[in-house]
Amino acid sequence: MKITRRELLISAGSLLAYSQLGSLANAEVNIAAQPGDQEMIASMCKALYPHDRFPMSIYMDVAAGAIKKGNADTGAKISFRAGLDGLKINKFDKMNFKKQTKYLKSIENTPFFGLVRGHTVVALYDHKEVHKIFGYQGASFDKGGYKDGEYNDLTWLPEPRIEEHPDLTAFLDDSSPKKYASLKIKKTF
Amino acid sequence: MKIDKKEKAVVVIGSGPGGAQVAYQLTKQGIPVVLLEAGRRIMKEEYVNEEWPAFSQMAWLDKRTMSGNARIVKDFNGLPTWLVKAVGGTATHWAGATPRFLDYEWKTKSTYGSVDGATLMDWPIDGKEMKPYYVKAEDAIGSTHRGGRPPLPANNNYKVFAEGAKRNGYKFYATGPYGTNAAPYDGRPASIQDGFNFQGDKNGSKWNPNVSEIPKALATGKLELRTNSQAVQITTDSSGKADGVLYMDTKTKALHRQEAKVICVAGNSIETPRLFLMSASSRFPNGLANSSDQVGRNYMRHLTGSVYATFDKPVNFFRGETMAGFLADEVKHNPKRGFVGGYYLETLALGPSFLGAFLDPGKWGKKFADMMDGYQNMAGMWIVGEDMPQANNRITLGSAKDAFGLPAPNVHFDDHPNDTAMRNHAYEKGEAIYKAVGATQTYRVTPYPHTHNLGSMRMSAKAKDGVVDKWGRCHDVKNLFVSDGSVMTTGAACNPTLTITALAIRQGEYLAGQLKKGNV
Ligand SMILES: Cc1cc2nc3c(=O)[nH]c(=O)nc-3n(C[C@H](O)[C@H](O)[C@H](O)COP(=O)(O)OP(=O)(O)OC[C@H]3O[C@@H](n4cnc5c(N)ncnc54)[C@H](O)[C@@H]3O)c2cc1C
Repeated sequence: MKITRRELLISAGSLLAYSQLGSLANAEVNIAAQPGDQEMIASMCKALYPHDRFPMSIYMDVAAGAIKKGNADTGAKISFRAGLDGLKINKFDKMNFKKQTKYLKSIENTPFFGLVRGHTVVALYDHKEVHKIFGYQGASFDKGGYKDGEYNDLTWLPEPRIEEHPDLTAFLDDSSPKKYASLKIKKTF
Repeated sequence: MKIDKKEKAVVVIGSGPGGAQVAYQLTKQGIPVVLLEAGRRIMKEEYVNEEWPAFSQMAWLDKRTMSGNARIVKDFNGLPTWLVKAVGGTATHWAGATPRFLDYEWKTKSTYGSVDGATLMDWPIDGKEMKPYYVKAEDAIGSTHRGGRPPLPANNNYKVFAEGAKRNGYKFYATGPYGTNAAPYDGRPASIQDGFNFQGDKNGSKWNPNVSEIPKALATGKLELRTNSQAVQITTDSSGKADGVLYMDTKTKALHRQEAKVICVAGNSIETPRLFLMSASSRFPNGLANSSDQVGRNYMRHLTGSVYATFDKPVNFFRGETMAGFLADEVKHNPKRGFVGGYYLETLALGPSFLGAFLDPGKWGKKFADMMDGYQNMAGMWIVGEDMPQANNRITLGSAKDAFGLPAPNVHFDDHPNDTAMRNHAYEKGEAIYKAVGATQTYRVTPYPHTHNLGSMRMSAKAKDGVVDKWGRCHDVKNLFVSDGSVMTTGAACNPTLTITALAIRQGEYLAGQLKKGNV
């Protein structure tokens, strides 16, 4: 997944700006650089947000982004390494979905889980291919907007009224403080 | 127009609906104004029709912290609010819903009585006085369904909403009032239903000061718009009057000073009290104009919450206008429901990118994924209702610093039990609307980062009860005004921007008169 400066991630608890990862070149140890590591993280991304309709390549893209974040600084590296180790030892990718969910529950409070989940929920649903699969068409300005017969093409319900109800003005105008003060509060909260 | 920094000028801080409107009202009457705006001017060609890139193009992302019991404190601690740092302010993002206050909503203390833990108070103005200003505000914005302006057509999301409402016996649904043109108006074209109203609106059909009051004020030749200019302190003279603004060039970080004879602050409900608190001095040790200790308090964000539903047939709710769907039946105060005040339901569509982040923050697993999977068959609505002002829901200067070394604001927010009771009621009614038209799954969504930011500089009749008087003038500092949504004594059920605009027109006319008479 391409990381650009303007990309932002909102994860539970924090707003993280993706930063340029230029300093990575000097890093001595890269985490999750072994063959199979990206696949392992991808299997976690899929277990977190399981969509049968998504090809594994989408989860692989998301995993690549998570791994970059896992290498962003020393703190991220040590927690990411420990988390990935756990997945490997427990052969997470070979578990059935139910077991995977149970395992993820057990690590829910770790920074590793927080990083991968927080990244996945944003990167996955922001993925262009996911938008296609969902039928989301996105920008339409260059085509002159969504056309009549397109933004209103729903036919399984009757055409609704778009004007205000003739009684609305009277309903809203009938709001004198005195009259409404006479309604007594029944405390239920 | 170029105004000398040594000249004692009328200075407006912030170019959102409040600040831009006051600046326009003054310049229209020939009064020169310096308008300081912390953000830059983004022209409509630059707007990006993708959710995250558009958000990062315009959002106010300077450091903020949060505390309190509201769920948002845990979910989005670094992002309590959804505000814009650009010319036009948060109205660059706004959708356009423009309902008015009901008469008793100006007088909630006398109407609702005392509510435990709430600091309800009557406004020093009433519905009758505000009526002509509402008409002016609707004409300024170009609200549909008002002033002879036509309604917007129904999009798919509205079709589901309106039919569901009808089957629940509701009557008061319509596609507005809404601040995006259905027909050309005020030099701006009709909506092309392109679905990216939140992202600035490339077509310019949506009202926002950047396409209306700002160009109009510039055309008078009396406005100097200084962008990337963030006010950081208001200074006072030996008599206690405001006499200048220290502001920072956000690019070079250089500090400048503009001499001032009158200052109108409109930085929104977080930045306005923050600026007053950062302007503490030996004369004003608790912060500027804060003898009442009310600066920063009674911060409100409206009730809010959303209901989304999926159906077994396509909706494609992302097409067309984002929020052109309105239901007013639940707005009236009716304590039998178990809470005071009322709420509106309004259609709302998000793209998958935002929906993933906001549907259920922190959640994961199959149920969440299944809901997202129904995206094409989804409809959505937003709840907006009156929340209770509370003394401790407040903006303070925290210990954290922003990138400029300035104290970052902390936003404390506790939900009041009345808010929770109303939200639960609204969730039920929202779900009933969708179930009546065959929803297969419904989802109750917690409040997003606050888009409506109110209170924190409340208006009061008496100096001991609030920060500003009925004109928005500080009780303690006579040449200092507040011109944004932070003056709201209470928030009413309706979306706030029409009222902010009406109040700013009224203040601008008043201030122009006072300046001409030499009274300030
Ligand atoms: C997604 C979204 C949808 C919305 N939809 C609706 C809707 O349908 N209906 C409705 O009524 N409202 C809506 N709103 C809310 C609406 O945008 C706000 O109520 C309105 O913009 C508030 O106006 P304001 O002038 O008080 O503040 P703002 O619009 O926030 O303007 C404040 C301005 O001041 C600038 N500023 C702040 N501090 C300083 C400083 N120290 N120095 C210089 N400049 C400063 C900021 O950069 C900003 O430009 C929506 C908001 C969002 C985010």
